[in-house]
Amino acid sequence: MLPADCSRRLVAELRDALDACAERQRQLERSLRVSRRLLRTWEPAETPAPQPTPAPETSGEAPSPESTPSSQDLKELELLTQALEKAVRVRKGISKTGERHKALSLKSGSAATSATTASAPSRPSGQASCRVSETKPPRGIQQTVVPARGLPESRLLSVGDRTHMGRGSRATKPGPGPRDQQIPPSAALQAPEAFTLKEKGILLRLPMAYRKAASRNSRLWAQLSSAQTSDSMDAAATAKTQFLQKMQMTSGGPGSGLSAAAVEAEVGLLRTACLLLRRRMEEVLSADPADCMQEYRCLLTLEGLQAITEQCLHRLQELRAAVVGRQLGPWPVGRRPGASLPCGGGTDPLWSPQLLLYSSTQELQTLEALRLRLAMLDQQIHLEKVLMAELLPLVGTQGPHWLALCRAVHSLLCEGGERFLTVLRDEPAD
Amino acid sequence: MGRRRRRVDRGAAVGALPEAIAALSRTLPAGPSPEIFRRAKFDRPEAAPALWQLLFRVLSPLSADGASASPAQEAQVRAVKSELRSQGYPRQALAQLPEDGSQGSRELLLALAWLLARGPLLERLLAQTRVRLGDEIPLCECEALARPGPPVPRVEADGPVDIRHLQWLMGKLRFQWRKLITSQQEQCALLGKIHSYTRGCHSDRSLGHLSVAETELLRDAEGGQQLLRRLESENVCLEAALRWRRQELVFWRWMDTVLGTCPPEASQPTFVPRIPERGAGEWELVARELQALQEELRGAAEPRRAAWEARVGGWGPEWSAVQRASREAVGLELAALQRAWERGGAAAQPHGPCRLVKSDAGASGGPGLRAAQVIEVLRSREACLEAVLCQLQRQCRQELARLAGALPGLIWILPPGR
Repeated sequence: MLPADCSRRLVAELRDALDACAERQRQLERSLRVSRRLLRTWEPAETPAPQPTPAPETSGEAPSPESTPSSQDLKELELLTQALEKAVRVRKGISKTGERHKALSLKSGSAATSATTASAPSRPSGQASCRVSETKPPRGIQQTVVPARGLPESRLLSVGDRTHMGRGSRATKPGPGPRDQQIPPSAALQAPEAFTLKEKGILLRLPMAYRKAASRNSRLWAQLSSAQTSDSMDAAATAKTQFLQKMQMTSGGPGSGLSAAAVEAEVGLLRTACLLLRRRMEEVLSADPADCMQEYRCLLTLEGLQAITEQCLHRLQELRAAVVGRQLGPWPVGRRPGASLPCGGGTDPLWSPQLLLYSSTQELQTLEALRLRLAMLDQQIHLEKVLMAELLPLVGTQGPHWLALCRAVHSLLCEGGERFLTVLRDEPAD
Repeated sequence: MGRRRRRVDRGAAVGALPEAIAALSRTLPAGPSPEIFRRAKFDRPEAAPALWQLLFRVLSPLSADGASASPAQEAQVRAVKSELRSQGYPRQALAQLPEDGSQGSRELLLALAWLLARGPLLERLLAQTRVRLGDEIPLCECEALARPGPPVPRVEADGPVDIRHLQWLMGKLRFQWRKLITSQQEQCALLGKIHSYTRGCHSDRSLGHLSVAETELLRDAEGGQQLLRRLESENVCLEAALRWRRQELVFWRWMDTVLGTCPPEASQPTFVPRIPERGAGEWELVARELQALQEELRGAAEPRRAAWEARVGGWGPEWSAVQRASREAVGLELAALQRAWERGGAAAQPHGPCRLVKSDAGASGGPGLRAAQVIEVLRSREACLEAVLCQLQRQCRQELARLAGALPGLIWILPPGR
């Protein structure tokens, strides 16, 4: 058993690590839920927002991507409507199912034509028209909704498509190709249309209000980030510095501006310094000097690094004295020290995100996997240091069950808890 | 009143100060009205609660869901005091304010001004609560580290535990990471699909496709309305922030007068030394690392110096010029190295959240980072961290070998597969 205070600290650290991991998992699960829902069939109640009005847009973003497909498809629509009308005539002659027409009359006329195409395939007769109607609906029917804005429900899809794709949209469909003919006619009666991102995604358009707000948003952020230097800004900066100085002078608190947060930040910098110094040292030690000059430079570099390390240690002692000598307030709560190089925010923090272009899913996966691996290594290094600090002294003092402890500590510290060593008692052979 | 006189003196436009303050409070979360600010200058008690709340909102780290109920007045007051102290707020008077939050509006006003003067507070607050329209990934972990997650109520293990419990926890952690990575890969695949399915839908050419948030906005009209509302209110805040930028000089002049009305404090350190436990731990670790590094450097440099002196002893004066040049060159290199951490990180490291955009172009030109480059940077960082971890493990192994060697009569068989 480990001593109580040591146990408490170690368990706390490990639980912190577990909590951090769990938090990430929670956020990831949330995003996964949203993404999965988007890739499934969209429920009828949740339909895409109505299309923006075809009135000329003042934003200057030419509606060309919208107009070109629709002009192209209007022609197809013409042909389609004619074919469908013919199909309707043919089918009317074959059967008159009153309720179907009633159901259809609830929708717009265009939807009615598509409904008939859905039921058409179930009829063995009229094969040619079936095939025509089958290949056309996914695209043609879309566009019928575009002009018919006066619909009570402006859907992007029609009944026909639902019967084609209403089930398990995640299963890859080869597009408007050959469909299975066993579509129950009752399916056509069932309400409304479904929408899948895979098939119809490219036809989505963002609403105008959102577009305006989003472009205004990015413009404002750009202004905020760029308005760093101007005359009024400089005057304000001077005024601020003066105010701070005055405040410092008239107050009775700690002088030198040393605060717990500042100390923590400096300790973090010194940690980075140690990392960088060590990296440079290893570079120098592993390099093979080719001539005298390089040897000399290696020597100078090592000595220079040594001097800087001493400076850092000295600074650390100063900070320690500052912390001990007076109460700098409670340590900033909840900030976990990270092991890797802190970025420090850079000189000009970008307040709104920049773009990151990726070309394939594999690339994105590699990127994310690397990012997670870095976070994991970060955590592992931190835990390694903490465990070293707590457990090595315990091994040094030989208590009961020392062997078992030694073995366990070796596994935790040297193998990341993954492998164990074996200890054999070396009995004298007699 | 004093304010009117000041305005006439400076010839500033009438109402410049209230406007500036109105812009400021529009930008801040829970910003009080300009009237509260005016009353605070005269230290009126009725202005205090609003200012306590404002400072609490500004200083408390953003909780994960952002909707936690605000704690009681005393808890808010204590939290504000503690956070200001840890950031180094110089004035004593704040610490002495009563905890029921009924007094001290002038002091709180000064505290707010102090926070505003020290850094880009408004921009940082706005960036924290920014509406995320795209699919973002953070390129570095500093955001994740700086913002603590929601405090988990945990039953503390009071008693001593067996080391096997630690091993179990480590195993659990390893498993959780594996699960996380798998989930992340799935999310990437889904994201890739959504991005390709909505190709060409975005009005902004440089983006080209919709993000999850935008597609969600189209799927769920009500949620979309909420998003739109949040976006619009953020726009209002941003405009207020820009207005504030233009007008803040007036505010600072006014704050000077506020400071002037306060009596200067006598310097009285009434502190009891106390070493914060967590901070000390971090300090110890860094100190130990630096000392170890120093030992290694000394061990490497001293013999080389000795060997060098032995060789170079009799060399002529032309050598000294070369020596000087080398010294300068090395000096410059080391200075650059020092700058790398003193200025807080190399500029080459990509920092901050990035919006993911799937694009086939990928060629040079055009704004934005390329995933391939970022992957390179991350790989080098990974190599660096792996080296650090390996070195730590090596250190442990040596130390344990040393300790185990003290006990003869045992054979230690290391696990295979290293």
